[in-house]
Amino acid sequence: MDNFGLVIQSLISGVSIGCVYGLIGIGFCVIYNASGIVNFAQGAFVMLGGMVTYVLLEHYHLPYVLAAVLAIAFVALVGALLERLVVRPLWKRNAAMFVMILATLAAQIVIERLTYLAVDDQPKTLPVFLDLPPIMIGGVAISYQSLWIMAGSLLIVAALGLFFKRTRLGKAMRACSINAEAAALQGIPVSALLTGAFAISAILGALAGILVTPTQYTAFNMGVPFAISGFIAAIIGGFGRPFGAFLGGITLGLVQAVAILSFGAGFKNVAALSILLVFLFIRPSGILGSSR
Amino acid sequence: MTVCLAQPGTPVLEVLGLRARYGHIQALKGADLKVGKGELVAVLGPNGAGKSTLLRAIMGLTQNEGEVRFMGTRLPRRDPVGAAAKGVVLVPEGRGIFGPMTVLENLELGAYRVRDKAEMQRRFARVFDLFPRIKERLAQVAGSMSGGEQQMVAVGRAMMSEPKVLLLDEPSLGLAPRVTGEILETLGRLAAEGLPVILVEQKAPLALKLACRAYLLSLGRIVATIDPREVKSHDELAQYYFA
Repeated sequence: MDNFGLVIQSLISGVSIGCVYGLIGIGFCVIYNASGIVNFAQGAFVMLGGMVTYVLLEHYHLPYVLAAVLAIAFVALVGALLERLVVRPLWKRNAAMFVMILATLAAQIVIERLTYLAVDDQPKTLPVFLDLPPIMIGGVAISYQSLWIMAGSLLIVAALGLFFKRTRLGKAMRACSINAEAAALQGIPVSALLTGAFAISAILGALAGILVTPTQYTAFNMGVPFAISGFIAAIIGGFGRPFGAFLGGITLGLVQAVAILSFGAGFKNVAALSILLVFLFIRPSGILGSSR
Repeated sequence: MTVCLAQPGTPVLEVLGLRARYGHIQALKGADLKVGKGELVAVLGPNGAGKSTLLRAIMGLTQNEGEVRFMGTRLPRRDPVGAAAKGVVLVPEGRGIFGPMTVLENLELGAYRVRDKAEMQRRFARVFDLFPRIKERLAQVAGSMSGGEQQMVAVGRAMMSEPKVLLLDEPSLGLAPRVTGEILETLGRLAAEGLPVILVEQKAPLALKLACRAYLLSLGRIVATIDPREVKSHDELAQYYFA
């Protein structure tokens, strides 16, 4: 394979992993917009998405699609419970934002350790969605899974855009993020919508986990690295801007791909944190400008 | 035009000994007032008297004690969503419109609880009838409109929920006199059609033109109830302010 083919191939895989970061980043934005909280348990959703699908698939021998759907539903429930059991009691006591953010970090650790106890510490992987040899275009090999990731992510982002733009519930959620008190004065059930925001964010995390696990592996402690990448994606996209987070994720994926190609795999995290620093220094409000 | 058609009977909204605190500061020290069908009542008073707090306390947005009775039953404390759902609707100070959203979306959110399409259309028609100017601006981002138009959207949004009682916090704030006149006239019309209205205003003469009763709030207490027909001059009113 010639050099050019290798570059293109790396860039494509960079975009596809970037889409996953983007989905996780959008999850951060959805909760942040609804509540002002940065949810550090976002990584747990990603890990659980892959892990629960794995368990249903390998231990209970459910069909792949059913396993994935059940896993997404389960993670959505975890997200809703996180809001009800961890965030809300603090919210009602007028706890400082910092306390609530730390509480989500604690929840992340609890979920991580419970998963460790329930499953084990071995890395697991999911089969690719379609077991076919990569498509060859010119000298470039494109795996089907990266196509699934890119197409799936675009579809999810479009669906989310429609949800916020067109549906009654989506508009009400936007209203809450603009002015929660004014929303309450319209009779919009603000607190129920906050639970809903956690559930949506959890669903996004789970989808990201299910899409990405076949290309890598998952384990009880895989959530945090993904959450950090998603967090960086959200910051370089403009925190609180869902579409920005998606662009930020793709940017991050591309930068990492170029770094790995030029300097070696050890530079993956160096590249991620460097691009974060570059944005914080030069354009702290991110690609699209921050929402608040 | 004074709007005062109330028949004797249970008032639609009745406030009994309402007190409200922000942390340790007692902003409202005891307010009693009522409004009935076809009445527009004004709450007047200088800056910092507790006018906004009174409305916020009625909605349950503050920590409060005392009672708010709506159609004879007590409203639960600290439940603004529930109060709004029952039909007690506040147009807050500063309007509280959803700036980045369109006028259409703002109005739709006012009728959040309505799912029926035909009913929604009927309510839109009613609001367009009240504020014809809104109709031409539906696609516009609400935050980019003039203050007066934003206030119309705020009142229109409140009317989309078909309130049983309407509370307004200084709708004239920062508006040109002509627009203020237009909005107050619409409020008068609504009240004359039967909607109970509580209007908080700093500009007393404007409010007194419409009000059937005015409560004077000073330092967190209602210190006087005024019949606007008996107020003959500004001097007389000023006495209340400075008494």
